[in-house]
Amino acid sequence: MLNRILLATLLMMVSGLASAQLNVVASTSNMGMLAETVGGEHVSVRVLAPPDRDAHYLEVRPNMMVALRRADLVVSVGAELEVGWLPLAIERSNNPRLNPGRSGYFEAGAQVDRLDEGAPADRSLGDVHPTGNPHVYMDPLRMADVAEALAERMAELDGDNADSFRRNAAAFRDQAESAVERWREEADGAPGVVLFHEDAKYLLELLGVPELGYLEPVPGVPPTASHLQSLVRGLDGREGVIIYSGYHSSRGPDFVAGELGWNTVVLPTNVEVGGSAEDYFALLDRWVSAISRLGS
Amino acid sequence: MSRINAASLPVGLALLIAASGASAQQQQNPTRVGAQDPLDSQGIGTYNLAGSRDRVTSGTAFNPAISVILDGVYKNTFSGEAHSPAGFDGGHDHSHGHDHGHGMEDGFNLRETEFAFSASVDNYFDAIAILAVDGDNVELEEAYITTRSLPAGLQIKAGKFLSDIGYINKQHPHDWQFVDRPLVSEYLFGDHGLQDVGVQLSWLAPLPFYSRFGIEVLQGRGGIANYVGSEEHTIVGYGGDPGTEGPTRLRWRADNDLDDSSGPRLVTAFAKFAPDLGYSHAAQFGLSGGYVRTWQNQEGHSSGRLETWDGDAWFAGVDAVYKYDSGRAYGHGNWVVQGEYFYREIDVDYASRDFVDGSTLAPTVSGGTADVFSGTAKQDGAYLQAIYGFAPRWNAGLRAEALGLTNNSLDPDRGNNRFESFGTSYRYAAQVSFMPTEFSRIRLQTNYMDYADDNGDDHDHGAWSVMLQYNVSLGVHGAHDF
Repeated sequence: MLNRILLATLLMMVSGLASAQLNVVASTSNMGMLAETVGGEHVSVRVLAPPDRDAHYLEVRPNMMVALRRADLVVSVGAELEVGWLPLAIERSNNPRLNPGRSGYFEAGAQVDRLDEGAPADRSLGDVHPTGNPHVYMDPLRMADVAEALAERMAELDGDNADSFRRNAAAFRDQAESAVERWREEADGAPGVVLFHEDAKYLLELLGVPELGYLEPVPGVPPTASHLQSLVRGLDGREGVIIYSGYHSSRGPDFVAGELGWNTVVLPTNVEVGGSAEDYFALLDRWVSAISRLGS
Repeated sequence: MSRINAASLPVGLALLIAASGASAQQQQNPTRVGAQDPLDSQGIGTYNLAGSRDRVTSGTAFNPAISVILDGVYKNTFSGEAHSPAGFDGGHDHSHGHDHGHGMEDGFNLRETEFAFSASVDNYFDAIAILAVDGDNVELEEAYITTRSLPAGLQIKAGKFLSDIGYINKQHPHDWQFVDRPLVSEYLFGDHGLQDVGVQLSWLAPLPFYSRFGIEVLQGRGGIANYVGSEEHTIVGYGGDPGTEGPTRLRWRADNDLDDSSGPRLVTAFAKFAPDLGYSHAAQFGLSGGYVRTWQNQEGHSSGRLETWDGDAWFAGVDAVYKYDSGRAYGHGNWVVQGEYFYREIDVDYASRDFVDGSTLAPTVSGGTADVFSGTAKQDGAYLQAIYGFAPRWNAGLRAEALGLTNNSLDPDRGNNRFESFGTSYRYAAQVSFMPTEFSRIRLQTNYMDYADDNGDDHDHGAWSVMLQYNVSLGVHGAHDF
């Protein structure tokens, strides 16, 4: 009898594993949030880059290959944001399902149009992306498009739950649209923002808030004294706020803010690992509030 | 490696040429009508009177991704004189001179300029070719295909490639944290490490921690797998009586008595393990080894004497690397600690022979016995290095190396019919690097070399050198392997 119970338990465990959820690997925690939101209980998601890291400068770690080795689907921001590590990690994972062109490969950047597409491919202009600004996750409407595309992809991989994926993506779009309406009112008339890097450009564009400048002289190069001084000269007498990420040095932002009498705000661009859609909208709430109230 | 963002100079040039060709084709020449240019062949032109004559083409869009690495070093040995570490000439490609081959000389050195071309061949294979232009020589550094669709975590690599043994062996010079290759890699395996032609099968096991296993079957040439084969040993001299006749040329030749051994002659195996340490820490531990079926070397002297070594060899080693990612921008606060140890044994029959007539070699005699004996060279080496990002875009590092902790060499002591033993050579290095962007690096390194001498008096003179290096990459975004 005991043996039978054990056997039954074992069989249940094995069948539980066999009917397993889609195994999704997300490059960043925002993409993990989106995969989790669309996939619901039918997916298990592993995130490779935590929000306190600059996804652009990450290096390959062996545990990335371990995660990708068994993945059914890799969901990345794409548009060359993770170019320094993800293509290599996929290659090293010896998992042909994840090769670009196969159903297991999904880039958010490939689902939507991108700002600054077609910029000159000249590295003297910094670490530029001729394929456009990759930080599409800062625009919740673009993220809704991405969610719908992701739902179709998950439906292709797991047809049984296609309706659930599509419902979840539609719910995300509803949330995004009502949030954007609210934010546009809140940020109406905001004087502008100085960013460290071009990562929140999509949000500013969405809200119609002017981008007043960047602390980096060119993308990928840390602030120089002369660049900061010219920022201060150019913005003297204007109102605004400086927003930057925790992984950036506070020295440049503090200098410019001190000279101009502005506030600085440190805000992540990604939710915590395991964060939900609510966390994502709450994070963007903080951005919008910092932009509209100038960090006070 | 399979990124397509070809914006580098050669592609640019190719596009420029293609574009100028295209615009020339499209130029309309108003004076053309009626006037017959004698150089025009019949039917040239793009007037679409009788249907378009355009060729629909994707032009150069299928060009492989190209990257170019430039590397220059200024070196100055400011104290002491550098010589080779004692006991490592036998397995090394060249044996004379202070700084040889790929070693750097004092003054300006343009090191290897690397041209890498990579692309997916089709949905089954990726391929990469890396050319290294080094002074006047062009060398094929690597040229291999890898599979991209094998199931079960398997991958096959075929062609000429850097072996996966150890940690640094697979890295190209621009991935190094120091200007120069560790002594253990250079002197146990060869000037380029273990780089050979063959096939590799690797398997990434479906385990919750990283575990990768592989075997390589390689042709076996140079360094750890030196091979000569059967050859004729020839010397040329001049005879004749200068008073009565002109010089007559004498050519003495004899077989070197080494057997041909068909390839592949080298088999290696490796295993790499990496526990899952989360987002900030990563470590990898490796085990590797190899067996060389035929290890041969010969040294012909102008006197006519010929020395030969003939046998087999094996090696084994361990490697470990630890990386800490602080999460701060531009590498500030990051650590990389790595170390390797390798041991090799070369088990050979040694013979020193000289011509007794124009076509026969016979053993030379020292101390009353023929200079023919067997012996085993046992040698090893290790290094340990640490790099710390002390400021955004800056790092500093220290490296300590030992070569020949056991140093039973292949240098014959002919009087006693055995191989000589030497002391241990040490080298210490300190470096500071500034990386303006991820595409460029300027590095200052100083080395202290405390090498064992082959005159028996160990370590009587150390030498100091300083090196200033620039290293830049053009073209595709370089992704670095773990």
